[in-house]
Amino acid sequence: MSTLRLSRPGGGSALRARIGRLTPVAVTAVVVLGLWQAVIALFDVPVFIMPTPVMIAEAFQDDAGAILSASRATVEAVLLGLALGSLGGVATALMVSRFPRMSGPVLNAAVLINCAPVVALAPIFNNWFGVTSLLSKAGVAAVMVFFPVFVNTTRGLLQVAPLHLEIMESLAARPRHVALMLRLPNALPFVFNALKLGTTLAVIGVIVSEYFGGSTEALGVYIAYQAALPRFDYAWAGILVSGALGLALFGAVTLLERLLMPWHASLHEETS
Amino acid sequence: MAEPAIISVRGVDKVFNGGSDRAVTALQDIDLTIGRGEFISLLGPSGCGKSTLLRVMADLTAPTGGTVTVNGKTPGAARAARDYGMVFQQAGLFEWRSVLRNVELPLQVAGAKKDVHRAKALEMLELVRLSEFAGHYPWQLSGGMQQRVAIARALSADPEILFMDEPLGALDEMNRERLQGELLRIWGDTRTTVVFVTHSISEAVFLSSRVVVMSARPGRIAASIDVDLPYPRTAETRTTPEFFEKVTEVRKALHGAPSEQAAA
Repeated sequence: MSTLRLSRPGGGSALRARIGRLTPVAVTAVVVLGLWQAVIALFDVPVFIMPTPVMIAEAFQDDAGAILSASRATVEAVLLGLALGSLGGVATALMVSRFPRMSGPVLNAAVLINCAPVVALAPIFNNWFGVTSLLSKAGVAAVMVFFPVFVNTTRGLLQVAPLHLEIMESLAARPRHVALMLRLPNALPFVFNALKLGTTLAVIGVIVSEYFGGSTEALGVYIAYQAALPRFDYAWAGILVSGALGLALFGAVTLLERLLMPWHASLHEETS
Repeated sequence: MAEPAIISVRGVDKVFNGGSDRAVTALQDIDLTIGRGEFISLLGPSGCGKSTLLRVMADLTAPTGGTVTVNGKTPGAARAARDYGMVFQQAGLFEWRSVLRNVELPLQVAGAKKDVHRAKALEMLELVRLSEFAGHYPWQLSGGMQQRVAIARALSADPEILFMDEPLGALDEMNRERLQGELLRIWGDTRTTVVFVTHSISEAVFLSSRVVVMSARPGRIAASIDVDLPYPRTAETRTTPEFFEKVTEVRKALHGAPSEQAAA
């Protein structure tokens, strides 16, 4: 009767395990950065094509104050867009999944609309909400986040194992029980997958809308402005910060997933 | 059986795709009376309608004709009153719930108070001897253990009847025999009426107080054989001449079924 157990190793071995897992990542990063620096130095690549990591780091150090203060507005727009888009997506999914006959056509329509490049709406949103308004940037992000969250959540609510439904039926469960005890928990992994996708989409949506103009205190505006000057090392510093923003949000969603779904299959590989 | 009937099936038919040229008669003119406290096996080849008959009693499928009474009610009323618990071939545990919370599910659905269903679920885990795994998640358990959790779940709301649809069919032989022993012990402890679907002759004989043999196409009852081997039955029971005699008797009834001869 051997069973797997959740690993709850002591502090020392947990730290060692973490170091063991992070070492390959760190080594890869160092190798990539080193190669990047070496190739550009060796072949004398001009800075407007690609600056070296060292130049980007210097640019960041030089202009950190401006970059970070520009980031604040971008972070706000990303978070607002992510929140609006995911709440709207989940709420719509909850509504649509109550009418399974309607959900098929609605899902198809959503998938079709999702094929359109939502980012193209940015100038329109600037026009609607004002070019300097937070809402015009967050709005684009929200629309981009909405569709994957809506589509995935609806699928998660509807794709319930027939056996699970039958068990609830044999228990004479009311629709309310089926929704709360079966459909919602069943949809959680789908929701989190969509949210992870959504974090990247929200950052893309906000940065790209900022390219179309806005207050100078924004990461997208900063990148576009520096590239036009042209100060490509500074533009790259801005680009890397926006990448870090996407990564941080992705990490936060993953952490939330682990906290809320300790049972989930994708976490099993963590155990020994 | 001397006990009063708890389930009575009268003239039940079940036709799938009725009216079309793909109509299949799954059950034809089934009459069956099950006494309180019996352990009944429905035994037959695949396609004989044994699972369909169980599902009709459990109100998961409506019969095309005939009447069914479960615990003095229609099957629908019995289901609504939670008179039975059901175990399927797959455990079907909710993977997002711990073992304990899976066992609590029927009590929660029935609206029991939290402290009541917590205590009851712990008691049920004790019954299937999985108390130490209360906090585990289903993926951490073997198939046999998952099925024991499913049995604990089915029994947690104290049903009068336990319907089991090939519950041990997905297990290997070793686990299967061990769980058969467990099941008899649980039946002895709870005195629940059990209706057990299987296609294993020795499993049916070892477990049951009565084996109902069914034949296929259309599904009919071919024989009803009392198994008078004394309880408690143990691993030694399987080695006795009486056990082999009973297995042979049931096998003859199964193979004497008309459709089996036609197929052979």
